[in-house]
Amino acid sequence: MSVVLTAKGLSKRFGGLAAVDDVSFEVEQGEIFAIIGPNGAGKTTTLNLVSGLLVPTAGSVTLHGRDLTTLTAAERCHAGLGRAFQVVQPFPEMTVRENVLVGAMFGTPGISRADAERRADHALEVTGTTNLAERDAEELTLMEEKRLEIARALATAPTVLLLDEVMAGLRPAEARDAVRLVRSVRDEGVTVVFIEHVMPVVRDLADRVLVMDYGKVLTEGRYADVTKDQRVIEAYLGRDDDAPPTDVAAAAAPAGASGDAAEDEA
Amino acid sequence: MSAPAAASRAEARRGPFPWDLLGVVVLAIIAAFTPDLLRFVFDRASVSYLSIASNALSLAILALSWDMLARTGNLSLAHAAFYGAGAYTTALLVKHADVPLWLGIPLGGVVAVAFALLLGSFTLRLRGIYFAIATLAFAEVLKSVVHHAPTDFAGGNAGMNVPALFRPVFIAGEMERWEVAYMRNEAYFYVYAGLLVATVLASILLQRSRLRHAMTAMRTNEEVAGVMGVRATRVKLLAFTLSSAFVGMLGAVEAHRVGSVLPEQSFSVATTVLALVTPIFGGLYTTLGPIVGAFGLSSVQELLRRTFADGYLIGYGVVLVLTILFMPRGVVGTLGTFFRRRRKGAQR
Repeated sequence: MSVVLTAKGLSKRFGGLAAVDDVSFEVEQGEIFAIIGPNGAGKTTTLNLVSGLLVPTAGSVTLHGRDLTTLTAAERCHAGLGRAFQVVQPFPEMTVRENVLVGAMFGTPGISRADAERRADHALEVTGTTNLAERDAEELTLMEEKRLEIARALATAPTVLLLDEVMAGLRPAEARDAVRLVRSVRDEGVTVVFIEHVMPVVRDLADRVLVMDYGKVLTEGRYADVTKDQRVIEAYLGRDDDAPPTDVAAAAAPAGASGDAAEDEA
Repeated sequence: MSAPAAASRAEARRGPFPWDLLGVVVLAIIAAFTPDLLRFVFDRASVSYLSIASNALSLAILALSWDMLARTGNLSLAHAAFYGAGAYTTALLVKHADVPLWLGIPLGGVVAVAFALLLGSFTLRLRGIYFAIATLAFAEVLKSVVHHAPTDFAGGNAGMNVPALFRPVFIAGEMERWEVAYMRNEAYFYVYAGLLVATVLASILLQRSRLRHAMTAMRTNEEVAGVMGVRATRVKLLAFTLSSAFVGMLGAVEAHRVGSVLPEQSFSVATTVLALVTPIFGGLYTTLGPIVGAFGLSSVQELLRRTFADGYLIGYGVVLVLTILFMPRGVVGTLGTFFRRRRKGAQR
């Protein structure tokens, strides 16, 4: 397998605070790569550095061997980086289809209107939103909004799609749908990098996991290995806990979207 | 995919009926006959009605130009600057260069665009209220520069005289005195009408192109738009260019019509306020809204002025406040929502 996305020594300082400190990782073609860590670990900041919403204090981002570090968010999008946000922000004055069309029309410079429409329709299909196409974007439920968010990003024809906490706020049944959705995105040939709090989802989806804490990389590897790592358990639970559990998943999964969210998938 | 969806998709590909372009043609035809009609109905009073109609057209150009920039989510308080730049360009040309009078109009547009791009380049990163404040400051700076420039160059506080574009000659025995004024006003009316048609066409082109989607996306959230590949900087500079070009030309024409330029009058805050109040009244982010706003506000103002000559501006203010309170999306926006609801209700 070949490396598509490389982050090398990414750092971001806000005044005296190092939100992200010397973070490096490589993502391979076609894999699903998870970034996990406690709140405030710098996961979203890392994603913002990769997608170009923040300018790094140091470090570089490379896609397919091309250095993206000095490019704007729009240029990185054209280079093949897609991004879906945690707080879903559809364009409310448009229909669902028009929202997706924005991604299709502007994600690839010079694309013809007809091709953009075809691509938008395909993205709607993959994300199961074809039946919502003519609805106003402000009328959607949360799960429908999340589908739209992914459809929009998918319509920009990314080679790597960055997903920020897609499962946040979803009910267990919905989280199951979301897991299926991410898989179908990968089946489209798109490499997926995602941030996630719901550990069973991470376990089911991720080929590899990067664990962050205090802006640094704690460890990286397969889900089963990193969750047994003592440093990871400490990061999530603290060092001097009264009853030290051995399973990160049980402790880190927030109420609501826990356990059974992905159990059936396994 | 359901059958009706497929049908509407097919319609989208062929393109729906071009109501907007038909509207421009109708507008142009109405404008073409307006002076004769006014003369037929009002006889010599048509001189002042033509002047009022020209003011309404002028307001429509100003408002629609402002709206084209507002569509990107940038509320400009600099439109007086573009207007004044156009006015002073033509005045300076007349004073210092021996060129045809009409040349000041396109050049007024060019100079306004130059200033707009200058302003645009250093306000690109600013959003919302910060953008608005920076643009307001820009207009004040330009006014101050003109004010303090050497008097023999730009006239300083006293301004400069600008000759009329049209000077119809009175021919005794063949016409009446008032007809000279009528001919002059008629000529200006057609200039404004032509400029408005050009502005409307530019606006329609924007609305029909994919830029409409880019602008709407940027207005909602520029970061999200960027991540989806919208080159916000380019779109913004294009909007700045279009918006200022028409206002610059408008400023130049008005300088000729009024006969003078003055710092206080050419860079008046009132211009900026009208530029934003009119689209808000008529309906933001559309081609129709600012035009409806301009004709609506002009009519309201004129009616009030004729009803209570003293203090009519109070009534004007009340109308504005009530409109914004009860029709926050403007006349066109409110009517649009009303009809859409009714159609949806009928479907159910």
